[in-house]
Amino acid sequence: MKKRYIALVTAFSLLSPVALASDNDDWLETYNRAMFDFNYQIDKYTLKPLAKGYRAITNQDVRNRVSSFITNTKEPVSFANHTLQGNFKNALISVGRFLINSTLGLAGTFDVASGWGLKGKRTGFDETLATYCVPDGPFFIAPFFGPFTLRSAVGYGVDAYTDPVYWAAINDKNYYDKITWGYLGLNIITSREKALDLTDDLEKNSVDFYATMKSAYLQNRQKLNKCQSVTETPSYDFDFEDEDY
Amino acid sequence: MSKKILFALIGGLMLVCSNAKADIDTAKAEAFIKEVTHEGIVEIINAKATQAEKDARFEKLFNSALDLKFIGKFVLGRYWRTATEEQREEFIDVYRKLNVQTWSKRFDEFKGKEFVFKGTSPSSSKGQIFVNTIVPMEQAQPASVIWRVKQDGETFKIVDIIIENVSLAITARNEYTAFIKKSPDGINGLIADLKKKISQ
Repeated sequence: MKKRYIALVTAFSLLSPVALASDNDDWLETYNRAMFDFNYQIDKYTLKPLAKGYRAITNQDVRNRVSSFITNTKEPVSFANHTLQGNFKNALISVGRFLINSTLGLAGTFDVASGWGLKGKRTGFDETLATYCVPDGPFFIAPFFGPFTLRSAVGYGVDAYTDPVYWAAINDKNYYDKITWGYLGLNIITSREKALDLTDDLEKNSVDFYATMKSAYLQNRQKLNKCQSVTETPSYDFDFEDEDY
Repeated sequence: MSKKILFALIGGLMLVCSNAKADIDTAKAEAFIKEVTHEGIVEIINAKATQAEKDARFEKLFNSALDLKFIGKFVLGRYWRTATEEQREEFIDVYRKLNVQTWSKRFDEFKGKEFVFKGTSPSSSKGQIFVNTIVPMEQAQPASVIWRVKQDGETFKIVDIIIENVSLAITARNEYTAFIKKSPDGINGLIADLKKKISQ
């Protein structure tokens, strides 16, 4: 599964010449809209019902414990990327959080470290690439996965490959598939459950769901832009004067 | 000597430019957002009132705090110029109604939460400023909410809200212009679709 995904990302990167992702520059729009509709149907009949079911059979406290567990498994990935970004303070915090939460926090189900003042900052390879000024690349919709830019897809692939859960299970031939698929499923369902209200709200109030999602996704990614010069204004500080547009 | 004149000229120009940007009362702009968020959370969301009363209070606050005509004009983009006066008025009306309906529900999400004020940042647009706030979250990092405020004389109005770097004005503009571009009925198609959303 993991190898297939990396192959998919690589295939996309070969097909896509690097260009800055911007709202007005959607040369893959026909493909993207078709794939968005495909993913929408998949979501409507599988992921969304599963996420709603998960919400129905659990309470907020249980969901918080599951979410904490998953966040804890990602701390080593954050540690590696904070280090690559040269942010050694956050790297040490990630190590501390992982050690404390894995033990005292009962395998990460409780975030004891935050209570001790070690607030986590999750990061990944996408942000590392952004730190080194790698451009975002074109925007595209990946089948089953959703919106990406070339850089975020590479980041996602590398983060998946370096996830300690896969490496912990790799030598166990009997349980490798069960653990990796189960872990992937848990990640997908919990993420989808968290986004249920937001996506329902956006869909309900949007006249063009694809355009809304794409715009919000690309704007949100501007947060990662680390190579902005000091004189450059933030992406949301656009020219907003009262004139005849 | 000529260097001194050049520096003096640059210095004078910078002073003029900085004055042009600093034509907004930052303290009053921040106080305005504090008042709006306080009224929204304490006197509407947390108030002991029926949902209908809360919705009516929210609509009043929304209409007084936001410059929806200014925003509506921006979100239609280049289509504002080609729209008839009647289409413009109808669009602003449905846009206002949809936003009131959407935001009265969205604002409910802030129940039990608070805005922590983090100062202001200058805007490249004249007479505008950004008021920075964060909302602490239980299981995640704090959410960033930035308010773009415009000053007209002694009046302050919100012209954009930026949540986690996502500008609502830009998002609506991208969405609506994409819709008009595809719709055979153009702006009328958009107005009809927005009306449908309101009645749902």
